Amino acid sequence: MSRYEVNVLLYRLKKDAAFRGRFRADAQGALAGAELTAEERDAFVRWDARRLNELGGSLHLLISIPGLGGH
Amino acid sequence: MGQLVYAAAMSHVLYPDYYGKNVGPHGRKMVEELIAVVQEMGRELRATRPDALVVIADDHLNVFSFDAIPAMCVRIGRSVERMVQADAIEFDQALDGLPQRYPLHEDLANRILEVGMEEGFDFAASWSAPLDHAFLSPVGTLCGDTPAPPLVPFWVNCFVAPQPTARRCYAAGRHIARVIGEGPWRVAAIATGGLSHFPELSLARVGTSAPSFDRRLVALMEAGDHEALCALTVKELDLTGSHELLNWMVLMGAVGPLRARVRFFGEMGRIDLAAMEWETA
Repeated sequence: MSRYEVNVLLYRLKKDAAFRGRFRADAQGALAGAELTAEERDAFVRWDARRLNELGGSLHLLISIPGLGGH
Repeated sequence: MGQLVYAAAMSHVLYPDYYGKNVGPHGRKMVEELIAVVQEMGRELRATRPDALVVIADDHLNVFSFDAIPAMCVRIGRSVERMVQADAIEFDQALDGLPQRYPLHEDLANRILEVGMEEGFDFAASWSAPLDHAFLSPVGTLCGDTPAPPLVPFWVNCFVAPQPTARRCYAAGRHIARVIGEGPWRVAAIATGGLSHFPELSLARVGTSAPSFDRRLVALMEAGDHEALCALTVKELDLTGSHELLNWMVLMGAVGPLRARVRFFGEMGRIDLAAMEWETA
């Protein structure tokens, strides 16, 4: 499990509006270059916040991504 | 000789709309009661006419990224910006309408940083980090329409493992007290955050707090039992959602072996809210 990669992507989704827009339009395409395990990639694509949290994703990132966060 | 003229700690989401939405009328009412208490504390703080206000709080991955998370960080420079975020989450909507820029107490910040490095505290320094709700929601509530004293923002990593220990945070506070004592300034200090919420930083557990643990913390602070507080482990703080007590530990180090006075304690369910103060004079 790469806690770093998961959180780098979450941080980018929070801070980079253009990347966030690409992710929301085509999650698979936006994540194409990311070094994620299949399980991590699947959790991102399905936007399963609880699973991403279990995989090491920071709670404070998961709840604060505009349009995707919330709790 | 300098003096710590005011010391207090308080929860830092002082925003009724957030609790109204996420908890309901009970949550809104409780935080409104806390806000009234913090406003009164602010009048007492301002009456001490401090030259500087040290604010000890944590980042919520708003400023620091996973590229680097300082265990503790001193904000230096001449002024600091309020964080502005497009589509800010509810926590940070509490900052709307507050001043865009705040003066810093550059000399005191530099002394805390530089003397700290000489004495073995490997503090990080930031010249550009803005301040989020953890700093400015309490500062805005304490100061109201009056200008804030020059600030010394001090970050503690409360959320990204491995965090500093409670004992190390307390030691950093002792260091800050020594710097204040050796300087010429009248200094106020606050710590923010807590009490328990977001246990284990688990999304599945959002919405629960640990009231029995919080009652124990409050009792220890009232008794001035700082040794018991220093002995708390990061694991205990994580399990109960008491991560932000680390901010309070720095403040308690700064005030030394004094008993706290409870100004507010409320068990909301989602979080336990509190405001405490220490008689420093």
